[in-house]
Amino acid sequence: MRLTPVVVLAALAAGAQPARGQDMPHRRVVREVLRSERMGAYQGRDRGPAQTDRLSRKVKLGRDGRVTIGNISGDITVTGGAGDEVSIEAVKRTRGDQSQLANVRIVVDDRPGRVDVRTEYDSGRFSRNNNVSVDFTVTVPSGASVEAKSVSGSVKVTGVRGAVRSESVSGDVTTTDTPRVEAAKSVSGDVTLSGIQNDGELSASSVSGNVRARGVKAHALDLGSVSGDLTVSDVTCDRLNAKSVSGGFEYSGSIARGGVYDVNLHSGTVRFVLANPTGFELTANTFSGSIRSDLPLTIGGTRDDGQRRGPNRSMRATFGDGSATLTVRTFSGDIVIAKR
Amino acid sequence: MHPTEEVLNAYADGSLTASEAADIEQHLGACLSCRQLVDELRDILRATSDLELREPPVRVWPRIERAIQLDRQDGAQPVQPGDAGTSPRLTGARVPGATSARSRVVLAGLAAAAALVLATVVGLRYLPGRHSDTAGSRSPIESSAQASANGAAQAVESELRQAEAHYENAIKGLEQIANAEQGALDPRTAATLQKNLAVIDQAISESRAALRSQPASEPAQASLIENFKTKIGLLQDTVALINEMRKGNEAGAARIVSGLKEKGN
Repeated sequence: MRLTPVVVLAALAAGAQPARGQDMPHRRVVREVLRSERMGAYQGRDRGPAQTDRLSRKVKLGRDGRVTIGNISGDITVTGGAGDEVSIEAVKRTRGDQSQLANVRIVVDDRPGRVDVRTEYDSGRFSRNNNVSVDFTVTVPSGASVEAKSVSGSVKVTGVRGAVRSESVSGDVTTTDTPRVEAAKSVSGDVTLSGIQNDGELSASSVSGNVRARGVKAHALDLGSVSGDLTVSDVTCDRLNAKSVSGGFEYSGSIARGGVYDVNLHSGTVRFVLANPTGFELTANTFSGSIRSDLPLTIGGTRDDGQRRGPNRSMRATFGDGSATLTVRTFSGDIVIAKR
Repeated sequence: MHPTEEVLNAYADGSLTASEAADIEQHLGACLSCRQLVDELRDILRATSDLELREPPVRVWPRIERAIQLDRQDGAQPVQPGDAGTSPRLTGARVPGATSARSRVVLAGLAAAAALVLATVVGLRYLPGRHSDTAGSRSPIESSAQASANGAAQAVESELRQAEAHYENAIKGLEQIANAEQGALDPRTAATLQKNLAVIDQAISESRAALRSQPASEPAQASLIENFKTKIGLLQDTVALINEMRKGNEAGAARIVSGLKEKGN
C-alpha cells in the first residue's frame, strides 16, 4: 500500500485540530489509509443491473449558432448534420438504485443562436450520485460552433464546420472532419484530430496521453504534453510550437517559406520528415543525443554530411534557400531531418 | 438513497449532530451494506486507538502549518444570516467541499496564491535592466547564453543559480497549494498529475546532473530552465483544475446542507 503525501498531510492536519486532540496523528494516518482502502470496496457495491433513462429533445438553432455541452461523467458524441436543429439524445446510466437517475437532470437552455446543454447532479440529502453517468449524442447544424467538455468521459466531434473546442479531464478527445478545431485538450486521455483546415491557431495537448493530428492545414499549431508523444502527419503550417518532457515528436509534411518551427523536448526524439522543402535554417541542440539529416546541409559555408554524434552537440545549418526557421532542442533524444 | 462515505465516516467518529445521527441511524436500520461499512469503520477506530505514539518528521511541519492556516481562515470567514454556515456540517471539516464557507476561502486563497506565484515567475522573466542587448522578452537562459558568449562564465552560473532559486520558490508555493487541496480531484486524475510531475522531476534531476558535469553546457542549462517552466505550468493547471472541481463540490455541498437544514426545521 502506498502512503501518498496527500493522505499523510490530510491525516496529520485532521489530527492537529484541538477538537480531536485525543486522536493522535499517526493513528489518523493509518485510519485514513485503511478507510480509503475500505471505501474502494464500498464504491464498488453498486454493481447491480444497468438502469437507464433516456431523454430526446430537438431545439431550433439556426445554421451558424453556437452549442455548448458540459458533462461530468459520460461520453459526448457530436455530429454535424443538415438542417437548423440541434437534436439531443441523452442516456442516464447507473448500476445502483433506479431512483438515483431522477436526481440527475439534463438541462437544455436555448435562446436565439445558442443552445447550452449540461448535466446537473441534485444531491438530495445524502449522496451526490456520482455513480450516475450521462452519455450525450448530439446532432448540430454542420455550420454551428461547438464547445464540448466532459470531466470523466470521451469527447468525439465529427463533421462540424464551425469552430470547435473540445476537452476532457480523463477521457479521449477525438475530432474528425472538423476543419476549424481551435482547441483539443485532455489530462490523461489521447487527443486525435483529423481533417483540419484552419486559418487560425490550433492548440492540442494532453498531460499523459498522445496527441496525434493527421491531415492538418493550419496557420499555427501549438502542441504539448508531459509524457505523451506528439505526432502530426500530412501537415502544413506556418508556425509550430511543440513541447514535451518525455514524449517524442514527429512532423511529417511540408514547411512553409518563411515559416517558424520550434520544438523543445527533454528525452524524446525529434523527427521532421519533409516533403520537398524549399529551404530552412536549422538550429539544433542536444546534450547527449545525436543529430542526423538526410538532406544536404550547409554549415558555416561548408557542406556537411549532416552527422553529429556524441555529447553536447549543436548545429547551425542551412538547407536550400534557408527561408524557414527550424529551432530544435532535445536534451537526451536524437534529432532527425529526413526526406519524405 | 445511501449516505455518502464522508457522512458515514463522520457518524462513525461521532462528530454528527444528534439530528444528523438520528437520520443516519434510521437509514442504517434498513440498509445492511451501510451498517456493515459503519461496523468496519468502528473496527478501524478501535484498532488504531492503541497505536504507539511517534513524532512526525520535521519536514512535515510546514505542511501542517499550512493546513492549520487554512482552518484558521475558515474560522475567520463571516457567516451571513441564512448562510448554511450555521450547520454543524460546516464546523467538522470532515466532508471535503461540504463547507461552503471554507470552500470560498480556499478558492480565494488558491487564486491569490497562484497569482502570487505567477507574479514571481513573471517578475523573474522580466527583471528590468539585467540585459541591454534585446527587449525584455529574453528568457533567463537566453540571457545566460549571451553572457557566456561574452566569456562571463561566472556571471552565467550565478544567473542560472538565481533563476533556479526563483523557479524553485515558485514551484514550492504551487506544490503547497496543490498538495493541500488535491483531495478535490478524482483519484485517477490526481494520480496522473502526480506521475507526470514525477516525470518532470526526473527531467530536472537529469539536467542538474548534466550541469554538474558540464556547467557551461547550453543544452543542459536550457533544459533545466525549460523543465522548471513545464513544472510550473502543470502545477498551475492542477490548481486551476482543483478550483473547477471545488466549484462543483461547493454546489453539491450546498444542496446537502440545505437538505439537512430542512430536516432540522
